[in-house]
Amino acid sequence: MRISRRTFATAVVTAALLPLTACGSGNDSSSGDASGKIQGDITFQTWNLRANFKPYFESLIADFEHQYPGTHVKWVDQPAENYADKISAEAAGGTLPDVVNVSPDLAAPLAKAGLALNLDKDKAAAKYQGEYLPGAWSSTDIPGLPGTWAFPWYLNTGPLFYNKALFKKAGLNPDQPPKTYTELFKDGLQIAEKTDGKVATLSNVPAIEDFGRYGVQLMNKGGTGFAFNDAKGVELLTKYKELYDAKALDPQALTATPESAGQKFLTGAVAMNPGSALDLKNFKTQAPSLYKNIGITDQITNTGHVNMYVMGLLVNSQSKQKPAAVAFAHFVTDAKNQMSFAKKVAIFPSTAGSLDNPYFTKEDGTDETRVRVAAAKSLKTAVNYTPVLFSDQMKTALQQEVAKALQGKESPKQALDNAVKACDQLLKQG
Amino acid sequence: MRRQLPTSPWLFAAPGLLVTAAFVLYPFVSTVVNSFTDRRTLIPGHFVGLANYREMLHDDMFWIALRNSTLYIIGVVPALVLLPLLLALLVQKHIPGIAFFRSAFYTPVVASIVVVGLIWVWLLDERGLINSLLETLGASPVGFLSDQWLILLSAMAVTVWRGIGYYMIIYLAALANVPRELHEAAAVDGAGAVRRFLTVTVPALRSTMVLVAALSAVSAFKVFSEVYLIANPTGGPAGEDTTLVMLVQRTGTGLSGRVGYSSAISVVVFVITVVLMLLVMRADRKDEAQA
Amino acid sequence: MTETLRTPGEEIARPVRPTEETARRTGRRPRFTDESGRQVGPWELVLRYLLLLAVLALTIGPFLWQLSTSLKGPTEDIYSSPPSFLPEHPTLHNYSRVADVIPVWNYALNSLKVAVASVVTNCVGSTLAGYALARLRYRGRGALTLVFVLALLVPAESIIIAQFTTMRSLNLNNTLIGVVLPGCVGAMNVLLMRNAFLNLPYEIEEAAFVDGANVWQRFLRIALPSVKGTLAVVAIFAFMGAWDDFLWPLIVLGDPDKFTLTVGLNYLHGTFANDQRLVAAGTIIAVAPLIALFACLQRYFFRGVGEGAVKG
Repeated sequence: MRISRRTFATAVVTAALLPLTACGSGNDSSSGDASGKIQGDITFQTWNLRANFKPYFESLIADFEHQYPGTHVKWVDQPAENYADKISAEAAGGTLPDVVNVSPDLAAPLAKAGLALNLDKDKAAAKYQGEYLPGAWSSTDIPGLPGTWAFPWYLNTGPLFYNKALFKKAGLNPDQPPKTYTELFKDGLQIAEKTDGKVATLSNVPAIEDFGRYGVQLMNKGGTGFAFNDAKGVELLTKYKELYDAKALDPQALTATPESAGQKFLTGAVAMNPGSALDLKNFKTQAPSLYKNIGITDQITNTGHVNMYVMGLLVNSQSKQKPAAVAFAHFVTDAKNQMSFAKKVAIFPSTAGSLDNPYFTKEDGTDETRVRVAAAKSLKTAVNYTPVLFSDQMKTALQQEVAKALQGKESPKQALDNAVKACDQLLKQG
Repeated sequence: MRRQLPTSPWLFAAPGLLVTAAFVLYPFVSTVVNSFTDRRTLIPGHFVGLANYREMLHDDMFWIALRNSTLYIIGVVPALVLLPLLLALLVQKHIPGIAFFRSAFYTPVVASIVVVGLIWVWLLDERGLINSLLETLGASPVGFLSDQWLILLSAMAVTVWRGIGYYMIIYLAALANVPRELHEAAAVDGAGAVRRFLTVTVPALRSTMVLVAALSAVSAFKVFSEVYLIANPTGGPAGEDTTLVMLVQRTGTGLSGRVGYSSAISVVVFVITVVLMLLVMRADRKDEAQA
Repeated sequence: MTETLRTPGEEIARPVRPTEETARRTGRRPRFTDESGRQVGPWELVLRYLLLLAVLALTIGPFLWQLSTSLKGPTEDIYSSPPSFLPEHPTLHNYSRVADVIPVWNYALNSLKVAVASVVTNCVGSTLAGYALARLRYRGRGALTLVFVLALLVPAESIIIAQFTTMRSLNLNNTLIGVVLPGCVGAMNVLLMRNAFLNLPYEIEEAAFVDGANVWQRFLRIALPSVKGTLAVVAIFAFMGAWDDFLWPLIVLGDPDKFTLTVGLNYLHGTFANDQRLVAAGTIIAVAPLIALFACLQRYFFRGVGEGAVKG
């Protein structure tokens, strides 16, 4: 070890005397805006993008450093798992990078702790608002803490894939996939019945975004409490229970992960699965026989709006190089760079007008393009149903209550009442 | 020992003591302090007295977790006391190739728990090796990874699979100390292998068995990885397979983690393990007095 | 309570009176005999080997199945029933794909650095502390032992953030030293060494003491050479612990260049979650070095276990 024992001992004692929390609290930190000179070293943290997009990010950073001499960007990429734990440790230890890749539900607690720069209040950042889709810009707006806490980055949405061979086997018209929830439930029950429960139609229990798509109001008007235990919510869960009992919802759905669900679709044990254009490639290489029978249809929604996921870039309000951090976050998310990222992978830019690019509007006959064009069209009205305040603990609480209802341990109404109660409790403590 | 410098014992112990104090005891003291606050991951808390402990009493998930951790002790400890002993007896004899078998049996201990988890999830998958073997035999697939109780049993099986080699070593070392005269005397008396096992080996290894019981009980009570990997991070269907340490992890981590509440559960886990140790040691002492 | 708490080392290093029996057992002894010196019958021998093979299938089988999966090509059905144990077209393609995505060699090197450092610090630190607990007479010895016992019972998952903030205030976050430090003198290892020293016959050191040897000399020349067996056990435990750890290195390291192998392999999850062959290749990469290392050291390991028991 490089340090001497005495230094070490002193350091340990010092550490023991330090207060437990090293992070800032409240909003006192947002002073000093980002309109200074763009220079200095900043750190940029992404979430599991290095494995597939290393060259893209390296050239992106080189471009930025070239455009703003005197800046240096250090890129760190974190593995998929335990990302929230990683950010928590960074935030608690005061080592949060200058620009951080977050989803809205990760941005919310950071914003509450005063660690996110409010872009609406920052002169240098607010001027970029017009460049983004309004829905994307406001995606990190938090009830009780209005503002924009992250630059909108890429959007993701996708169609519903279905297995035409399995549809045919169950006596359904493979060219008429379900369009509404009523049809979905009817087809699901028929497939289960015709295959003796061997083939399920759905492989995931309903999550918060499913309630949203079904038309359930998720939170009350003021955003102070949850409301998905209304009649509509109970109706959806009751339907799912029916499917579960008939094995139209995969019996293993209660312990499924997104990966295991995808795997089941791949092996023909499940007839439908949500996905993105990226999955098409996967089908082609891993399950050629499935690929021949793949059917593609729109996400089912009662509201007319499909669900989308939003990724953002948060600027650390404690950053020592705020001007450079804001400039870089904007640079990564500007129309040109988002467009070139979108061409590398099946995601969609959140910048205004980008979705009108021929790349997203012109079909060329391939399935990939068809999926892309359809998704881009639906994105214009898409909604991120997951409330920004919906934390991991709340997701777990909902999932567990839904499972109890499906197992018949609680009535759907009871289960949703309990879930709302638990989530409200967690919300109040937050 | 009068000539030794007065400071030297502390000098000897200093590195170990400092590290333990800084990275185990100090964090744990802060955990105890936190358990009386409503601290969240990013929000410093206020003193709330015993509120977290009171909440625990009314938290269904806490009782489920306590049940599962207790079941884990019941399911795992007898197997881990007995099977490694039998295995040690099997590899004790110096027959050709025994060195290979000994190290092969230790391999599961060498592999990291994350790897072990991945391997077993793949084996127990609905379409994995075990189920496709069952199917070949004409049985229908078993939902090892989806049924509440089968998940817990599968996790226990993995713990036992991994623990056998570890405790085998401890028994092997202890067996070397069983005086051979005892065996010889019993053999002369015409006692069969089973009789000799029960009348000679078991009494001679009693204290080792108590040790294995104590060690395996404490680690069974604190089980996390096996269930986390086999069930899924949220603890199986409806969270029914959650164990106490999983609950600590789930409530306390992430950006909205309830550090206060999670700390209170940690403290309870700690107190129960201490009591568990004390009980085992008292039983040991009583036995010893009788023996 | 500390006096009666036993750890594996105590059994490993329990002294046995050096009788004729011991000498016979470790020395030239006719093979194929049971513990009472009788000849083992051929049927018993067959039965023993059958049992050994059955246990072997259970312990090694899962690893071999993983290896087989990792060698199967993209066109091979890995879900077939009956299962095919041998890959039809064995390929290393999956391994090269894993290596394309993550810098396996860099990560393995980092893991190696961390593991070796941990072996050194654990051997030195726990031997010193164990000796102090077992041999030196001074006030507060009981309390000191208690500290290590209690440390053993603290649930690791609950203190990780507090550990990180401490590391942060030492400015050691994002360094490999930071990865090593919390586990650099494991409480379990200290107690193992304590018990090993406790079981050394006291008389030998007494004699050296009379000869005027000071505490360091007695420690280095007399006590230390007698506990080599337990030291080998500590070394292997330390290496395994450091090599296998996942959550702590993930939390403490920010910079992907410094990742250890277990953390780096986690990239596979997010990237190839759907391809069981690649996940299998990743697990084999993680586990193979450890198995190889153990295979090389097993002689010393088991000899250490036996030696400790005999020599005491």
